[in-house]
Amino acid sequence: MRIAIAALVGVLLAAGASFGVVQLANSSQKDPVIKPMYNYGAP
Amino acid sequence: MGERTRQVVAALTGLGLGLAALGPGLAPGFVLSYDMVFTPDPAFTPMTFGLTGTVPRQVPSDAFVTALATVIPADAVQKLLLLAIFVMACMSAASLVPTPRLLPRLAAGVCYAWNPFVAERLLLGQWALLLGYAALPWVVASAARTTEKGGTRRLVRALVPAAIGGFAALTVSGLAALAVALVSAQLRGAVRVAGVVAALSLPWLVPGALRPAGVPGNGTAVDVFAARADTPFGVLGSLLTLGGIWNGETVPRGYGTPVLAAFWLAVVLGSLFAYGRWCREPEWRRGAAVAAAAGFVLAALGAVAAPVLRGAVGLWSGFAVLRDGQQYVAPLAVVVAVGLGVAADRAITARYAMAAVGAVAAPVLLLPTLAWGAAGDLRAVHYPADWARARKIIAADSAPGDVLVLPWALYRSYPWNHGRRVLDPLPRYLNRRVVVNDALIVGRTTIAAEDPRALALAPAAAHPDAATLRDRGVRYVVVDSETGKYRPSGAVPVLTGADLAVYRIDGAAAPREDRVPAAPVIVAWIAASVVVFWSFLASGTTLGLPLLGSIRSRSPDRLPHHSRRAP
Repeated sequence: MRIAIAALVGVLLAAGASFGVVQLANSSQKDPVIKPMYNYGAP
Repeated sequence: MGERTRQVVAALTGLGLGLAALGPGLAPGFVLSYDMVFTPDPAFTPMTFGLTGTVPRQVPSDAFVTALATVIPADAVQKLLLLAIFVMACMSAASLVPTPRLLPRLAAGVCYAWNPFVAERLLLGQWALLLGYAALPWVVASAARTTEKGGTRRLVRALVPAAIGGFAALTVSGLAALAVALVSAQLRGAVRVAGVVAALSLPWLVPGALRPAGVPGNGTAVDVFAARADTPFGVLGSLLTLGGIWNGETVPRGYGTPVLAAFWLAVVLGSLFAYGRWCREPEWRRGAAVAAAAGFVLAALGAVAAPVLRGAVGLWSGFAVLRDGQQYVAPLAVVVAVGLGVAADRAITARYAMAAVGAVAAPVLLLPTLAWGAAGDLRAVHYPADWARARKIIAADSAPGDVLVLPWALYRSYPWNHGRRVLDPLPRYLNRRVVVNDALIVGRTTIAAEDPRALALAPAAAHPDAATLRDRGVRYVVVDSETGKYRPSGAVPVLTGADLAVYRIDGAAAPREDRVPAAPVIVAWIAASVVVFWSFLASGTTLGLPLLGSIRSRSPDRLPHHSRRAP
């Protein structure tokens, strides 16, 4: 059971860490307005 | 720890992963990204059932969403479905690992729910495909036991999420199930799998087959939708690491950087090694491996042997289903996840419990940018107020005629959706027949339109004027982007907002359109529904347990530590 709790805490910590990294990265970026406007995507 | 507790822990872990992945997408409003379109208060229309003559890719997933949205708000339906993908994926993969230990099961569950395949398909908005993907481990386990008593019913239940997902989800799950059955349950099992898949496909198969314009298949799209490298390991290496989607814009930020990609490749190779060496599950082990190998070949086909696939599409347009090849690596994801679980189990046996903890955390640590709405790409937004006004105006009008959407293109990058590309939501948002140009623009390539009504209206849409559109059965022209740039001459403006403009064309003729006959489609729905109800009623159980029970080992003596109980 302790191992299971450790695993869950690990997952949550990882999610938290990734959230922090992403927030940091995002705070330095503007909203991406993708052009051209009507494309489905690009290979 | 009991079996039920292990399932609950796996489900909660999946829920945690879902919450972490969706992040801002869980706020009130709709997440609109590429093919993912949900609208407020959706209604059942002929398009919902594929009767309008367009290719029925939205069948039956739209009908499922519309049915749920009659009970709870549509934005809540979207969040529930997206979270259900993570919960089911984690539970189903965890249930396949042949061990009573929790940690190895969680390693498999986390790996299956959090990997480049899930991230890329989620960003591409293919929630319906992911619904089938989430239940694929259950399908693998069930397909190996179709010839047992109750085996066919169990397979139907396992395939229900893929059946809801529709065309793409059922093709991926069906091919995987067929491969598993051929290896594990021989021809008799394979025939049953084919029968079940065919029955569950009826809601989209029948309108597709009866479509007046036939089944479209475009050879040029083979190159466009072929798998591409998103890691330094080339196309095949990218597919092996469960990435390689055709659309370069739907790769999670930071994925494919050499260090992270190398670690992830090591995890995948280690998992495959562990699967081959230590996975002793007698029923589906070989079948799943064959399904994964076959899926990998199909996934690579468009990239390494494009002329073969192009020729196949030329011979029979139904082979167009193989164009977006990367989706067929889904069975490989099952094998990788189970392999990681088996490796974690081995590590605990060898008293390296921390290695098992690392196996649980590795997928998240190596793909951190799936978190928080894939690094902020998946955000909930509200439709502008102009949209609701337009719907009210058009719904109140009883005069016949279709709605033509301008600009004449299928995808949009609305400013109110943070510039994120999305399939034009108007066909689902309005309760009339809405004609959009369904030609796809991918990079510099344009794939021809499939909707006969769009093809017929294309010249008029290029230079819209009321007289021409009136003759062709167009009652309204809706401009939902660059509203100042498009104005059909002679039409009456009834709404001119910043985000949407609506023009009415008085005296429009009744639209002429070859539609799919409703009667065979109704029969198809009844037949598929009867099969699903039979699978549940006959077993007298609920959705979750029979699926989970499907992986119960038949020969516990071959797995001495196996302590699962019967469902």
